[in-house]
Amino acid sequence: MIVLIRRLQNFRKEHRTEGPGNRQSLAIRHCDAGSCNGCEHELNLLSSPYHDIQRFGLSLVSSPRHADILLVSGSVTSGMREPLLAAHSAMPEPKKVIALGNCAIGEGLLGNSELTGLGVSQLLPVDAAIPGCPPTPEKIVSAILSLAKKS
Amino acid sequence: MTDTFRNQVAELLNNDYTFGGLYATKLSGSVKAVFISPNGALKILECQVQSGEAPSIADLVPSNWDEREAHDLYQISFNGHSPLRPLVEHDPISDHWTVAVKGSDVYQIAVGPIHAGIIESGHFRFHVIGDRILFLDTQLFYKYRGLEIAAENKTLHEGKRYVERMCMGCSVANALAYVQACEEIIGYIPSAKLRILRTVLLELERLWNHLNDIAAICAGVGMSLGNQIFLVLSERIRRLNFSLTGHRYLSGTIDIGEIKPVLTADNIENIRSELESVRLRAKEAWRELIFNSSFAARLEGVGVVDTAQIRRLGAVGPAARAAGLKEDFRAHSTKLDYENFEAVIPENPKGDVRSRLEQRYLEFLQSTEIIFRLIRKTDILTDEETACEPKPLGIGITESARGRTLCIVEASEGRIERLHMRTGSYANWSAVAYAAVGNLLPDFPLINKSFELCYACSDR
Repeated sequence: MIVLIRRLQNFRKEHRTEGPGNRQSLAIRHCDAGSCNGCEHELNLLSSPYHDIQRFGLSLVSSPRHADILLVSGSVTSGMREPLLAAHSAMPEPKKVIALGNCAIGEGLLGNSELTGLGVSQLLPVDAAIPGCPPTPEKIVSAILSLAKKS
Repeated sequence: MTDTFRNQVAELLNNDYTFGGLYATKLSGSVKAVFISPNGALKILECQVQSGEAPSIADLVPSNWDEREAHDLYQISFNGHSPLRPLVEHDPISDHWTVAVKGSDVYQIAVGPIHAGIIESGHFRFHVIGDRILFLDTQLFYKYRGLEIAAENKTLHEGKRYVERMCMGCSVANALAYVQACEEIIGYIPSAKLRILRTVLLELERLWNHLNDIAAICAGVGMSLGNQIFLVLSERIRRLNFSLTGHRYLSGTIDIGEIKPVLTADNIENIRSELESVRLRAKEAWRELIFNSSFAARLEGVGVVDTAQIRRLGAVGPAARAAGLKEDFRAHSTKLDYENFEAVIPENPKGDVRSRLEQRYLEFLQSTEIIFRLIRKTDILTDEETACEPKPLGIGITESARGRTLCIVEASEGRIERLHMRTGSYANWSAVAYAAVGNLLPDFPLINKSFELCYACSDR
């Protein structure tokens, strides 16, 4: 195990992305509202040694009650409409919504139009959008950090 | 009619065929069931739907989900399938789709559709006493996007975009199954060069997925060192994918009859050196992991699905092989390049979390060897395509990182009449529910991660 710990330490020194100098803290809650799992695969890498977003004061939290930001992926299917709204209303004020990926923005390839919405902005006020299919972890990190700077 | 269909199914089962999937046709008002022979040959049985009814075969083969889906989307009642609970449709009255809680002290925990971590949406109902799971009901299809229906009346070429959007984690496997089905329809046989390219792409997809799955199992027991190390290795493959194709998940690389310039001399050298390096690091990390006794103690005997249950539930892929079932459709993929392929299984396959973890590692090693073999032979290839008789119905099967994935396309005049995709995830969800029974609730995330199924692939 010592070997692996050393490897990880060296790796982080060499590869981790640069963050902002200023300190802030934001809690992020993710909601999959009908994605293809691409955004989720990229989101999972935010806590990998490449990015390690906790260094920047960002954390991915397990309840919307603890969250400042709702990060929504997917085009909002009919099945996910209510759960998404419930998660948003559970969040304390002030709260922000980020549309993650082309589907959430409303520009993805949709399925049957009766079942999939046109993105998150049809239902909730969207404060920032992160385009891409899927957006890379680098893009996600920098978009969240720049929203943090603005607010 | 009813008896004939069921008799035909029984006869195929007697001849060691396995069930591949069942779907409702669009126009001919029938139900079709696909069967696969031990050497990979396909057989389709058709049964006309009469006054909205067809005989159920769910007592003979694992067609439970298929029949419920055909009922919800095509309003077909399956005689003998009782209760025919909704699958795609979400009935607001929970009694219509849930199983009643029975016994004193037994209570129910409902989880989802939004889960606590970064994970896709789906609903689970656990019947428990304390931490002991007695029964698990899964309700998926919160993410149902109707992609199969949306692809209807599109050209074969346009249809691929819908298939690729079903699931990013299996985008090569799904697109390839679709493209192979389309190529049967247009009567096209891929060249040796195209076969090699497609095989390399399919194996690259397996590599990042399997490394990611090992990382996920580590996370499932709170072993963050293993999680971080294997996440890095999975990410290195995704970065390699990007440098080769311009897409981290290889989306857009598979097309009907088209060779993309992926295997150039420079790229081949990149693939070779990066895979050798990733393999070295993975071997090192694996040794550290398996000799860690507290890690091992969390995995052994957890979430067991034995061979008999795997067969009964129709589970496929690494989950089936980890139970000792040596079945891998790559052995029959004649339209790809898997010469002398033989499925690998653990030395002592027990069908538990430990075996499923080891299965990923063994397949990771095997996939790197397959790619090394393929990139050595790229320069001696012809790109001579051949033609065969066009057909109105095409079937493509690939072995994705999660198991056998079957795609059926029915077309007329170059347009899709019916598209049906049955992925490895779809086939395996009932095995997850079975594996949870008798285990502890805190082990469920681990058991779930050891299957690492896509919700998107099932919901479509």
